[in-house]
Amino acid sequence: MTPYTNMIIIPSLIMGPLLTISSNHWILAWTGLEISTLAVIPLMAQQHHPRAIEAAIKYFLIQAAASTLILFSSITNAWTLGQWDIMQMSNTVSCTILTTALAIKLGLAPFHFWLPEVLQGTTTMMAMILTTWQKLAPLSLLVMTAQSLNTPLLLMLGLTSTIIGGWGGLNQTQLRKIMAFSSIAHLGWMITILTLSIKLMLITFYIYIIMTMTMFTMMKLLETNKISTTMMSWTKLPTMNTMMMLTLMSLAGLPPLTGFMPKWLILQELTKQNMIIIATMLALSSLLSLFFYLRISYYSTITLPPNPINFSKQWRHKINQKPYLAMLTTLSITLMPITPALMTTT
Amino acid sequence: MALSFKLLHSVFLSSRSHRQNALHPLLGPLLTDCISKLYSSYRRPGTSPDNTPPWKMNFSFEKGVDGIKKHFGLLKKELVNHWIGPEGYRLDEYMLEQTRVVWEFRSQKDLDEWVVSSDAEIGGKSEAYLKLGKNNQTALLYGTLNTEAPRDGETRYSGYCSMRAKLPKGAFETKKYYDWSNFNSLYLRIRGDGRPWMINVFTDPFFSHQKNDLYNYFMFTRGGPYWQEIKIPFSKFFLSSQGRIQDNQYPLWLDKIRTVGFTLGDKADGPFQLEIDFIGLLNDRAHTEEFAYEKYERNPKV
Repeated sequence: MTPYTNMIIIPSLIMGPLLTISSNHWILAWTGLEISTLAVIPLMAQQHHPRAIEAAIKYFLIQAAASTLILFSSITNAWTLGQWDIMQMSNTVSCTILTTALAIKLGLAPFHFWLPEVLQGTTTMMAMILTTWQKLAPLSLLVMTAQSLNTPLLLMLGLTSTIIGGWGGLNQTQLRKIMAFSSIAHLGWMITILTLSIKLMLITFYIYIIMTMTMFTMMKLLETNKISTTMMSWTKLPTMNTMMMLTLMSLAGLPPLTGFMPKWLILQELTKQNMIIIATMLALSSLLSLFFYLRISYYSTITLPPNPINFSKQWRHKINQKPYLAMLTTLSITLMPITPALMTTT
Repeated sequence: MALSFKLLHSVFLSSRSHRQNALHPLLGPLLTDCISKLYSSYRRPGTSPDNTPPWKMNFSFEKGVDGIKKHFGLLKKELVNHWIGPEGYRLDEYMLEQTRVVWEFRSQKDLDEWVVSSDAEIGGKSEAYLKLGKNNQTALLYGTLNTEAPRDGETRYSGYCSMRAKLPKGAFETKKYYDWSNFNSLYLRIRGDGRPWMINVFTDPFFSHQKNDLYNYFMFTRGGPYWQEIKIPFSKFFLSSQGRIQDNQYPLWLDKIRTVGFTLGDKADGPFQLEIDFIGLLNDRAHTEEFAYEKYERNPKV
């Protein structure tokens, strides 16, 4: 896109969620959500491919509908209570509608159907922005209203999301769709622990962002979008191939990698609150997610492909470096021993 | 076959179901004489619009029960297939396969998966039929092309016939797509009569604004008594919408394909024949082209 359009769109994209996070009034929060939605739409449809346009339209419709519901719930709250403060949302109907609307925005099950299709239709980098930066605003609204939200509803949403995130990703071969289901599952874990411990939810979110950004950056460097083209990654960047396997295991939540930390702490918190069945079901459903992460790492790192893939796009034409990848990879693999330090930061 | 063509003709003429599309997923098993026109019904040029009210339906209880059994069976099969792997194949088979036969013609049931149509739908005089070839090994699409345009005041050109695979449907009439992302060419074994055909790949996008988008490419038949094996890479397919080739071309994405069809419209009156052995997919390791046309915008708006 031309520099002029980039100058408008990228600051809007940055400013939208920041506006939502820093607001006390519902209207300003809604404005931030709308700004971020509108800014991301032209970025998604940059190439005008029919599927990219389809993804952009789907994303816009879903997000606009969810924003409408958020506005509706805040207006109902203001009508019954007379004030627009986000932190003091106490009308139960408003809270339920708000939870549903934010679930739609985040892509939690059972409102997750748009996420795999939208991520599949866009480019790799835009998919990364959609799964990381665009989750910031709705999650911050959830954090701000957490004390008045309905815990059983959130637990149900979270549990359904982890199960569907695991089940749906089982036989996907397109990497962006796999990352969509991984996003659904991780958000499920976050939502489950929201009312019980906001600090844990924020830790989970930050670690999820780090791991997802690592994964998408690796996908961009390898220029791969399917598992079958990931099979050739050992010829391109062998070290990164190993790191990708470790990142995937971290996403799956295997100790002693970073991704285990939020899962462990969440299960510990749920057990303390005597929600054993939910904790068990969450742990079991993360096995389904583990299966598809393991499958990607099996085809990329552990086995050799039977024959080469000779699209010229798969060759290395130029040195394609992302300098932040090393830092992200280190963070997404080795952060577990300093868990106590992280617990004090948030 | 003649029967399938006549059936199409009669169902088209008697279809009153254009308004029932929203209800169709729910009432589908109960409706008898209803083909699912997904987006809008087709009005034959020169005829008056169809104003039957939407509540005139034909109910049938036995067909309803059969339909419910069939759809729940399909749902169970889909869930089991989801557990096995992508599209029902195990993942290692799916990753390693280099060829796959998608459509074969060995029985009448295989022929029923295809829909044959010609310009008789708009009032023209071409005819097209589909039948099984010798020893039930092939399918023969034959007929006569007639470029005389129908005299209805609207149509200017005529003279085409086409064969298209029926849209695959999952449980409860949901859209089912093929995932051909492991392959990069279409592989056809046919025996034609020298006429140039056009192959259309329909990706059935979500929104109806793009419902006329097709990816086309040509298939030139040799006409001899020998079989012809044609390999068409998917990178060669160009995008067209409602028959008009688009200026901005985009590559065909293979992860969501719905049907493939053949069209003949070469403005030559007379009989035609096309014998098809099978239609398959190939992962051609020697083909390295990503996309055959320029991807940049050819008439940029400054």
